[in-house]
Amino acid sequence: MSYDADLNFVFAHTPKLTFGANVVAELGTSLSEMGHSRAVVVTDKFLAEKTDMLERVKKSLAGRFAGAFTDVIPDPTADSIDLGAAYAKRQSADVLISLGGGSAIDTAKGMAVVLTEGGKILDHEGYHALTRPQTPHVAIPTTAGTGSEMTMVLVVKDPARGQKTFIGSYFLHPDLAVLDPTLTVGLPAKLTAATGMDAMSHAIESLLSNLRNPFSDGYSLEAIRIISTNLKRCLDKPDDLLARGQMLIAAAIAGSAFSNAMVVLNHALAHTVGAKYHIHHGTANAMFLPHTMRFFTDVSADRLALVAGALGISTSGITDEQAALQAADRIEEFNKEIGLTDRLSDYGVTEADLPAIADMALTDGSIIYSPKPVFDLDEIASVARKAL
Amino acid sequence: MPIDFPSDEWTTAYQEALNASESYKEAGKNWTHGPIALVVKAEPTIGVEQDTAFILDLHQGVCRKAWISDLEEANKQPFVITGSYAQWKMVMRKQLDPIKGMMQGKLRLKGNLPIIVRFVKAAQELVEATSKVDTRFLDE
Repeated sequence: MSYDADLNFVFAHTPKLTFGANVVAELGTSLSEMGHSRAVVVTDKFLAEKTDMLERVKKSLAGRFAGAFTDVIPDPTADSIDLGAAYAKRQSADVLISLGGGSAIDTAKGMAVVLTEGGKILDHEGYHALTRPQTPHVAIPTTAGTGSEMTMVLVVKDPARGQKTFIGSYFLHPDLAVLDPTLTVGLPAKLTAATGMDAMSHAIESLLSNLRNPFSDGYSLEAIRIISTNLKRCLDKPDDLLARGQMLIAAAIAGSAFSNAMVVLNHALAHTVGAKYHIHHGTANAMFLPHTMRFFTDVSADRLALVAGALGISTSGITDEQAALQAADRIEEFNKEIGLTDRLSDYGVTEADLPAIADMALTDGSIIYSPKPVFDLDEIASVARKAL
Repeated sequence: MPIDFPSDEWTTAYQEALNASESYKEAGKNWTHGPIALVVKAEPTIGVEQDTAFILDLHQGVCRKAWISDLEEANKQPFVITGSYAQWKMVMRKQLDPIKGMMQGKLRLKGNLPIIVRFVKAAQELVEATSKVDTRFLDE
């Protein structure tokens, strides 16, 4: 796989992570080393009330626990972030601990901005507009998929404008990510599969992206290899700490890859059907992924051949194009093995809906990094049609 | 005769170049999101003594007005893109894609990123129009 002579890139991610079963018990020590004494935990009601996760974090924090904001909602709104920041301010927090999936981590990123910069979160809308370090943040993912613990972006929903917006900055990387596989063993099978395929999509799409670079490519390929050998194991034996841990690692690696290289058409489609039909983000990504790979085979066969290798397909004696198509077939098969057999029609989508889906996907930011220009509505609809 | 960048004269010439561009007219025809301020960071070594902004009042494929402003006025616009002199020069010479530059933190965007990326073709045409202005860069 070659790069252009004008290759130029920036590669950045969360500066430190700790990994291991029960490593969450070392959180208090980590905060001491970082010099923090008042931690506010940012999580949702389910994790706070129906699991022991918050208690485990509190126990580790001991006297450093300053309170818990448990009103994280899926797809965080600007108001929910502002409310969280107001709570953390009242508690005199000097560090935020996010505990949960991407929504909890994104909420904490937003709270960190409001605590440092003041005002409301939407006052800080922009990309790399922040110019100084934000309130310290430790991210503890409880799913293995979004990779948000390694990224510099938060997604905020603004109901007033009916839009989602992004705030991105190198200052939004959490200061520490704590990857503890014991926190993911209780994840239901469908969610394990869907979040795992979200990570797989991050890895494959960042490899296809025009913003890819040698670092992100290396990360992507390793994430693909790990996910292909461990996701099914998590489903077969949910308390397999080895497999759960590997999936957490893969999600973080894939998060680093796409935080730098971005994602492509597949995520544009997934965002669209997520917004219009409330299809789970990971499920939607899984649904489109084989078709997206086939769509890009004409321009990215060399990269998809590497995906084939990472998926364990023997590529000797076959062309890159053949390997690429085998990789797409393998992803389709893999979806079935992990029980992600959903189709768009299961959610009421019909042929008549495809033009609107294509139109909305065309306006999604992810699409612009695709390895070939995607401006044709019929082309986008043709990819979506395969998932009907 | 080459025109100094940035300057009032350059801004006027750029507005004319942009409005003469059929490609921009088409790519920007759905833009109804207000003016964009482009801020050049101070570079005293080449004579840019303070942060300098030029504001483009863009609407539906037309640049209705373009003017040099101070930072205070620039920061009131819905979109503010900030970069060093060297980075803007790279953008104008097509050595730095503006969207990629924003992703990499080489250009700083204040405003709604998804709206900007929806108009990636218009952004390319905005850059293309700079090549129609005979420009003198102050560091050359």
